[in-house]
Amino acid sequence: MIEHALYLSVALFCLGVLGVITRRNVFVVFMAIELMLNGANLGFIAFARLHESMDGHVLALLVMAVAAAEAALALAVIILLHKHKGKLDTNVFNLLRG
Amino acid sequence: MADLLALLPLIVTTAAAIVVMLVAGFSLFGREVMALLTTGLFMFCFFVQAATLVSMPFFPYQQTFGSMLAVSPFSGVAGLIILACGGFSALASQTYFGHNKGYVPEFYAMLLFAACGMLLLTMAAELITLFIALEIMSLAVYVLVGADRERLLRAEAVLKYLMLGAFSGGFFVMGAMFVYGGLGTTSFAGISRVLAESGLFTSPLATAGFLLILICFLFKIAAVPFHAWVVDVYDGAPLPVTGFMATAVKTAVFCALVNLLLTDGSLLSVWRDILWYLCVVTLFTGNLIALGQTNIKRMLAASGIVHSGYLLIAIISADVTGASRTVIGFYLAAYALATLGIFSALSTLSGNDEKRISFADFNGLAKVHPYSAAMITVFLLSMAGIPPTAGFMAKFYIITAAFSAGQLVLGVLGLISTILSIYYYVRLIAAMYFTTPEDDFAITGLALAPAGTAVLAVAVFGFSLYPLGW
Repeated sequence: MIEHALYLSVALFCLGVLGVITRRNVFVVFMAIELMLNGANLGFIAFARLHESMDGHVLALLVMAVAAAEAALALAVIILLHKHKGKLDTNVFNLLRG
Repeated sequence: MADLLALLPLIVTTAAAIVVMLVAGFSLFGREVMALLTTGLFMFCFFVQAATLVSMPFFPYQQTFGSMLAVSPFSGVAGLIILACGGFSALASQTYFGHNKGYVPEFYAMLLFAACGMLLLTMAAELITLFIALEIMSLAVYVLVGADRERLLRAEAVLKYLMLGAFSGGFFVMGAMFVYGGLGTTSFAGISRVLAESGLFTSPLATAGFLLILICFLFKIAAVPFHAWVVDVYDGAPLPVTGFMATAVKTAVFCALVNLLLTDGSLLSVWRDILWYLCVVTLFTGNLIALGQTNIKRMLAASGIVHSGYLLIAIISADVTGASRTVIGFYLAAYALATLGIFSALSTLSGNDEKRISFADFNGLAKVHPYSAAMITVFLLSMAGIPPTAGFMAKFYIITAAFSAGQLVLGVLGLISTILSIYYYVRLIAAMYFTTPEDDFAITGLALAPAGTAVLAVAVFGFSLYPLGW
């Protein structure tokens, strides 16, 4: 049983990584990052069940709170970027090229 | 009660941040007073941290709040460096906002909130506490970078920083989850206890987890191959914020990394080989990037990558005893002094809208502002590691530590990298002294940053005399 939850968790994480790497839209990239964090959360819950301790639940809750704070800032940045260029495609933002 | 005593610097800094936030919200003071207030609060927090550090031997417990946090002399020293960085950055931003747009009163509150996150990060002794501290710090620093909403450059810098920062944060959480799954605990003490019982990495889950956590740390310290963001983000951020990021953020993250690696030596012994290669690549790639830059901010960002490489040398040649922590603390302090100094000098000299920022813009500075040029020279020589500056002593301690730990090749490579790095530091010195001035370098209004710069220039020499007992 634990394997299934873990496979799903890793699959979500990998989908998130893939989304961050391949997608060009800033909004979708942030969604992919949230997917990564939630993949980890699922793993925490599954392992809490396995270890029969509440630690995993608490950790997942804390990660969710942090993810919410991060999303709030990310949305503000997205609005800021949209105000400047009217688009959210990462190709449009090319002032900084390291 | 003892718990709260150990946390006193953090509590005081948080209270200061909230006070500044309220003051900013009600627009009680003007721009100048806000800077002075923030500097004063940072100084007060610095003294509280110093008092806590001095009285640390009398604490009954080193671990507080159920081993979620741990205070040690190392975390105390890192806290001192961070709070000093905050104070000098506040001084520099007072001058910077005198001739640059983009001032918002909440800027100073965010500076203090970032310092709160960093202090928590230095004390974190549990993976999720570490993550929360990392995010408190990062969220505040993202806001600092993007506070000027009118400039697209800032928005792009914050986009890049936020996306990659959150991405690496995802790796950290996934790593923490694997470690929790494999070992059943996320506290550093628990991890080392389990590892001591069951041998090293019998659990493949935990091995994968630690690798993911390492990736996040390497990203945060801008080690190659996770360095791509640092030059752009430093370039896009306002000058005082760049200085703050280059020093305080680096100090906090390195402190957390050292706390994780040196809880017991087992984690380090597994990672030592990977870190060895990454360290060498970091040193030389950083130097190559810095050699090609014409913009001072970008050059300093790239040299920050090289300095991360030196700190990695210290970590690789570390043992579990306190000696290596002392060396790392010394290097972080010496690097912070020089970097903050040069950024506060640049905050004064860069002029309206950061118009003077490339090497050529500083041609002949010594003829117009001899003292400023001399101080910038001192900071650059310290970063390059020329005696008798603090930077030289710091590099000396690190190379000596590498040799005494048997890392001969690494020590020699570190020396070669130092020699390479002299070129791009001396280039700016040569531009300031051996060319004729094209610019009048007019500075509008007398401000606090030059005072901070002078203090730091003296400190660069003074700190090199600090005896390191080991």
